[in-house]
Amino acid sequence: MLSLDPASPVPIWKQIEQAAEVMTTSGALAPGDPLPSVRELARQLRVNPLTVSKAYRRLADRGLVIVRRGQGTFVADRPPILSEAERQASRRAAARTHALEARRLAADLAETTDLLHDVWNELETEINA
Amino acid sequence: MPESVADIKGLVVRYGRREILRGLDLSLAPGEVLALLGRNGAGKSTLVRCLLGLERPAAGRLRLLERDVWRHRAELMAEVAAVPERPDAPPGWTATRLARATARFDPSFDAPDFAARLERRAVPVDTPFDALSRGQATQVSLALALARRPRLLVLDDPTLGLDPTTRLEVLEELAAELAERELSMLMTGHDLPGVERLASRVALLADGLLVLDEDVAALRERHRWVATPRPEDAELTAPFEPIVQRPWGRGHETLVARYDDRAASRLGAASQIRWASLEDIVVASSHQVAAPRNP
Repeated sequence: MLSLDPASPVPIWKQIEQAAEVMTTSGALAPGDPLPSVRELARQLRVNPLTVSKAYRRLADRGLVIVRRGQGTFVADRPPILSEAERQASRRAAARTHALEARRLAADLAETTDLLHDVWNELETEINA
Repeated sequence: MPESVADIKGLVVRYGRREILRGLDLSLAPGEVLALLGRNGAGKSTLVRCLLGLERPAAGRLRLLERDVWRHRAELMAEVAAVPERPDAPPGWTATRLARATARFDPSFDAPDFAARLERRAVPVDTPFDALSRGQATQVSLALALARRPRLLVLDDPTLGLDPTTRLEVLEELAAELAERELSMLMTGHDLPGVERLASRVALLADGLLVLDEDVAALRERHRWVATPRPEDAELTAPFEPIVQRPWGRGHETLVARYDDRAASRLGAASQIRWASLEDIVVASSHQVAAPRNP
């Protein structure tokens, strides 16, 4: 299940949001799967329920989950539709982190893009398996 | 339901000629969990004692659940429970005996609930309180407080001196309580990662006044560390209200207090931005000087 990294400076609501996002995009949670209730997760993570609500609200705002009143929170059926600006910003940030790390390890651009290619194909195989 | 759990205005406490609290304002709404932080000697314990009606301020207003603390102390204490920093009991008293005594002064004390809490944590009920471990004593003290179903729970450094397992159990007990019913809490302490799990708001006391009083999420959102590798780029952080700056190789690392995602591109392509922990924020803000209250 979802867990927190107590040593991370990332705020708790953001950690919950990111963990849920990783679970949905990696297939650990499939469309229609329920997320734990706010109270249940608050208890389990030992955090204020308001913090869990905030994370769920942000996931819902971004279209990753759907809140059905009286029933709970479920992984959305379709991938969220982000604005083009949000998609760009997010992809750019990821590419930047990747590029910085590659430079640190003295990799050149060709090596780096080749590797991205390989990883992309691996993921494709895993997810469709 | 009262709209305000605690309402403090212009609180002044003096010890001799020294002013410990210098006109402090603070409020607490139902369901809020306020972390009262500050260095040792900042006035936290004094404020807690005033809240519990154990100390009379020299000036100011102090209301709990919309009643004056000093005048309505006895009736208020039926709705307010406290877990002291060093839980204490008369020599030889066991958890069972403490529960009987609590039930006598607070009719809302739920004895089966108390027993269930201790059983869950495997705390012996027939061992004298002074023979319990630090962790067990805290569990008893916390169970006594929670089984009274208070509307306000005051916790004085609840995880101080606990082993990691007991610390998590205490946090779990409190998180479970918040998930179950509306309860306001005021907690002091220096265990910032623990505090952050529970607090909805943070107040930072320095030199008898609050230098911060803010929603935890908002506080975290507006702070970031910005690393600028080129010496000349340190200036780029100026619009984001730098509060701490330290060398970072040839460049600088700056803690900014007004970070804005939308304006982040102004920080230059080489800058790196990362989250600041609550500890970073508290330490940096403690150095700031509180503006004295206008008389």
